[in-house]
Amino acid sequence: MILLFLTSGLFLGWSLGANDAANVFGSAVGSKMVSFRKAALIASVFVLLGAVIQGAGTSETLGKLGAVNALGGSFTVALAAAVTVYLMTKFGIPVSTTQSIVGAIIGWNLFTGNHTDSRILSQIISTWVSGPVIGSAFAILLYIILKAIKKYSSIHLVRFESFIRTGLIIVGAFGAYSLGANNIANVMGVFIPSFNLHEINLGILTLSSAQQLFMLGALAIAAGILTYSKKVMETVGNNIVELSSEAALVAVLSQALVLFIFSSTWLSSFFIRVGLPPIPMVPVSSSQVIIGCVIGIGIYKGARNINFRILGEIGIGWIVTPLLSGILAFISLFFVRNIFNIDVGRKAERITATDTHPALMTAPDQNISNIMQYLLLGLLITGITAILFYYFLERKKRTELKKSEEKFWKNIK
Amino acid sequence: MAVFTRTTKNLILKIDEFFDNIDLGLLVFREGVKAYLNKDMEAFNRHLQKIELLESNADKLQRSIENEMITHSILPQHQGEVSSLINVLDEIIDTIKATLNDFSIEMPEIPASLNHNFISITEASVCAGEELMPAARAYFKSPYSVREKLLKVYYFESETDKVSRNTTRIIFQEMKELDLSQKSHLRYIIQHIENISDNAQKAADLLSAMAIKIVM
Repeated sequence: MILLFLTSGLFLGWSLGANDAANVFGSAVGSKMVSFRKAALIASVFVLLGAVIQGAGTSETLGKLGAVNALGGSFTVALAAAVTVYLMTKFGIPVSTTQSIVGAIIGWNLFTGNHTDSRILSQIISTWVSGPVIGSAFAILLYIILKAIKKYSSIHLVRFESFIRTGLIIVGAFGAYSLGANNIANVMGVFIPSFNLHEINLGILTLSSAQQLFMLGALAIAAGILTYSKKVMETVGNNIVELSSEAALVAVLSQALVLFIFSSTWLSSFFIRVGLPPIPMVPVSSSQVIIGCVIGIGIYKGARNINFRILGEIGIGWIVTPLLSGILAFISLFFVRNIFNIDVGRKAERITATDTHPALMTAPDQNISNIMQYLLLGLLITGITAILFYYFLERKKRTELKKSEEKFWKNIK
Repeated sequence: MAVFTRTTKNLILKIDEFFDNIDLGLLVFREGVKAYLNKDMEAFNRHLQKIELLESNADKLQRSIENEMITHSILPQHQGEVSSLINVLDEIIDTIKATLNDFSIEMPEIPASLNHNFISITEASVCAGEELMPAARAYFKSPYSVREKLLKVYYFESETDKVSRNTTRIIFQEMKELDLSQKSHLRYIIQHIENISDNAQKAADLLSAMAIKIVM
């Protein structure tokens, strides 16, 4: 039953993987610099790592906005967010899971009579605007640097493209890590206050209940990447303006930096140590940040070929997405509570993700912990098998090509 | 990853070797025509053999470069253009080989008074090709300098046109002692030599567009 409640979050994770992986590897795959198979494999591994290692910061902020304290409530909130993402995608508006989940949490707050912290809300909303703006500033700066390197280094085009390809893979991995770290809160954040699992001790590290949830969410994201992102990557990769390989590298790196900045607790503490204001740990929309980055490059190049309609659509998304998911969450919560008689949460003042009352949580379930351990083992075996399979497939392809070349020249002679 | 394998290095070497072949081909062609005009058939045959070797090597390299670019997905955004460039450059060495073969098989009788004109046409046409090669190499290393390097290609192409037009006029209007068949044959040979600079101009047009795209 507990796992059934998670399905809405997992669905949200799946759609995030299917849509947002394109922001990280879309340009590389769309321009044929990196094969889809390689991109999907790297993105899946690094999303998982980012979510488990660094996902806590942004989840805490979402928890402060509204700590959904019943599984039925978490399920409904995540479902409302997922349906909103689906509907907005259907209407072709660049949608953000962050905005959707924030709206749904506020809907839950309103329904249960919980107070919405306006300071946290304004912090979150300000990053929706500042994320793309910082992204575009990074993009312009990095693009100027890369262009200067290309111009003055006299590096051979083949070698330069080779560096760019390697860069795209490394930056893509960093982008996927940051995506996992920053956006896992959207997928699993609402479940943390009402979910309690036994810790798993792996010898070198211990996975807390939240980290296990993040791992499940990241697996859903990985499933989205592996099953549905190919089409999105190939078609959406160059949607805004046609990107050259170096522009693609810059856009992905800038986006990864923005996502990393808004999810790195270490960087935030460093800012405090040097006397600067702390960086808010907020999940930002990877789609909107990358659009900001690409527009930054477009502005630098003369802003002739930018699709400005997309900017308008982002603006619409900022208002419509949270509004729609909030209303949807409110109505769904009403039905879930009154028709299905499921507890969707109650008024619990000053409850945060880190300060949850034990009475509000489910008791740790040994069966689920066992399932998680088997899942980890399965994940490890699948990962190793996939890497080996990929290696042998590539080797076979090369050997066949070499043989056909030798045969061709032998026949010519 | 291509950086950590030998694929990138091999491809760069192959592209350079391909360009070297075209460069050498142009040199050998110039010497071959001079040897023919000087009636030094031994040297001419040696040059012809050399050209055949260079042309066959260029064909092999062309195929190999295209294969590597496709299979390792190198330069995916410029693949079509680089292939077209290599194809046009290969046409230059094909024309060189075909022209020297024409000399060898058809043995055109070139009056001694026209030797200077034939050398001039050959020089201008070969120069157009020779000026193209630094621009083609620059496309890969410093695309910003490609367009200025191409200016000389266009100059030598128009020079070739002028000298060959002048020579054809002399053949048809001033050399009454020649048969029409011989005149036609000489014009045909001139056109073949001219084809080298025409192909160089075709490659220059392509390179110019490619350079703009890469610099933007």
